[in-house]
Amino acid sequence: MLDRTRSRNVAELSADKLFALQNPMRLDGRVSAYPASARGYSVSNCFLLRQPDAAWLIDTGFGGDEPALRAQIESLIPRTLPLSLLPLRHNEFMSIQNVEPFAAYFNVKECFTANPDAALWFDFGAGSDKGEDTLLRLKITTISREETIPIGDLGRPVIVYQAPIRLIATRWIYDAATKTLFSSDMFTHTWRESAEGPWIIQDGDDDPTDFDHVRSFLLNTRYWWLEGVDTAKLRAGMDMILSKHDIETIAPAYGCVLRGRKTVAKHVKLVDDVLRSLDRSVATSRYVGRDEER
Amino acid sequence: MQRSTLDRPNPLPREVAPGVFWLGECLEQRQQGKIYHGCNAAFLIVGGAASMLVETGHPKDFPIIEAQLKRLLAGKPPLKYLFVTHQETPHSGGLGRVLSRYPEAVLCGDVSDYHLAFPEYEHRMRAMQEGDEIDLGGRGFRAVEPVVRDMRTTWWGFETRERVLFPGDGFAYSHYHEDGHCGLVAEEADSLDLQDTTAVFADLALWWTKWADMRNYCARLDALIEALGVKTVAPTHGLVITDVARTMPKVKEGLLYGSRVAERGTNDASFGKKAVPASDETVG
Repeated sequence: MLDRTRSRNVAELSADKLFALQNPMRLDGRVSAYPASARGYSVSNCFLLRQPDAAWLIDTGFGGDEPALRAQIESLIPRTLPLSLLPLRHNEFMSIQNVEPFAAYFNVKECFTANPDAALWFDFGAGSDKGEDTLLRLKITTISREETIPIGDLGRPVIVYQAPIRLIATRWIYDAATKTLFSSDMFTHTWRESAEGPWIIQDGDDDPTDFDHVRSFLLNTRYWWLEGVDTAKLRAGMDMILSKHDIETIAPAYGCVLRGRKTVAKHVKLVDDVLRSLDRSVATSRYVGRDEER
Repeated sequence: MQRSTLDRPNPLPREVAPGVFWLGECLEQRQQGKIYHGCNAAFLIVGGAASMLVETGHPKDFPIIEAQLKRLLAGKPPLKYLFVTHQETPHSGGLGRVLSRYPEAVLCGDVSDYHLAFPEYEHRMRAMQEGDEIDLGGRGFRAVEPVVRDMRTTWWGFETRERVLFPGDGFAYSHYHEDGHCGLVAEEADSLDLQDTTAVFADLALWWTKWADMRNYCARLDALIEALGVKTVAPTHGLVITDVARTMPKVKEGLLYGSRVAERGTNDASFGKKAVPASDETVG
């Protein structure tokens, strides 16, 4: 097995246990996860959770990143290691496009999803156009709104949640072994000027993220509808998860990984403050046009 | 896993306005102990000089849609355009296969993310802005305001000759297979409870509509439909609407009802005889 953990695109977040596979993308108005006016670079993040007897891959990445991701995964685990896939957003290329190629290449044991017919949703032609039946053979393991699932047989429980704030069907995950919350499309509000990153923000770093930035980000991306709704209820739902767990790392689907208690606390408070400021008690729900930047 | 979840003849394709064809087949959704039938449609517009595919259909349906296209396009102007309303895979998942099968075709609309998903086709992607229009020969196709949407990168489409609106996730509701609704237009499906089925979809796919004040969106919908003079609505996830004046009030009632009622417990792990989780991961 190659040691590629020093690669700029693979970050070891917890010794032997957790790796971020971070592939850069240019922000030029063509990335739906970022405001149309955002310029610079971000990364799409997949995460590999490794145990001696099994591994999980959270999200499978865009099709254009498939060769890079395959090499990154192969640098971390042998192809024969049982691998489970857990796409956090069932309807987005970034989460599901490489289910089929990875199921064909690695020893994929199962794919976790709430939809028992999910394999029908993952066919973008990569294998089926060549007559392969990878998806027909893929084992789907259904999961409910909140469920604790072990990675392998050596006792590393991971809790899978229905995301308490979401646009489409979305999961959050908490991994107690690494004190990491995988937050999918929340906490994705950072990007950089350079493709080189850095793609981790940790305690002590110069982190200019502030209230105005987070507010603008949420209202100009998939949370465009938040102004004037019952955000007190949304905040309570988030707090149910955030306050229950000891979180040292927030691992979002896009942008910088947030590491360290101070950094996590800062970004949680920023999001909470923004949501509070948008609550229906202080703001009015109105029609929001598609290209209205706020 | 079965390739198709259905066990009866597919009523599609169906011509829903002159030169506009409804493609695909129904999509079964397990929800609250029932199997709901939904639509995950694609539409073909045949112009005098070029044809256009609107949406790519459900990933599972691509072989069906490919066969429907082959039959309908025989002797007709070639498929030169593919328009997808937004990036969710039930709308856009087939775009790589469409572009590979139809080398003349270009993808148009908001093209965000597709260069990351299919970089090999980046040179065939054309961004549209509101009001941009494509001439298909005797009829045009215009990008219009997406009143009810999820992703910020959504456009709705409007065909100018027959005045057909393609609203993507707007007008989303299931139908009753047992009542023979599959392949019917909304006005033919007498027993369809639009209020109820629209509310189910709000639970499943348009969660934000349960939070925002939908009266604002209904008013904007009225204004758009009047401004465009819409005669037919061709939604991706609902039965086609051919009498807008008669059916629109029911759709709006459904949106308002869906925003008022509590969530119905998707993913409640109590589906059917066997403990299989019902899913909110089944629509786009």
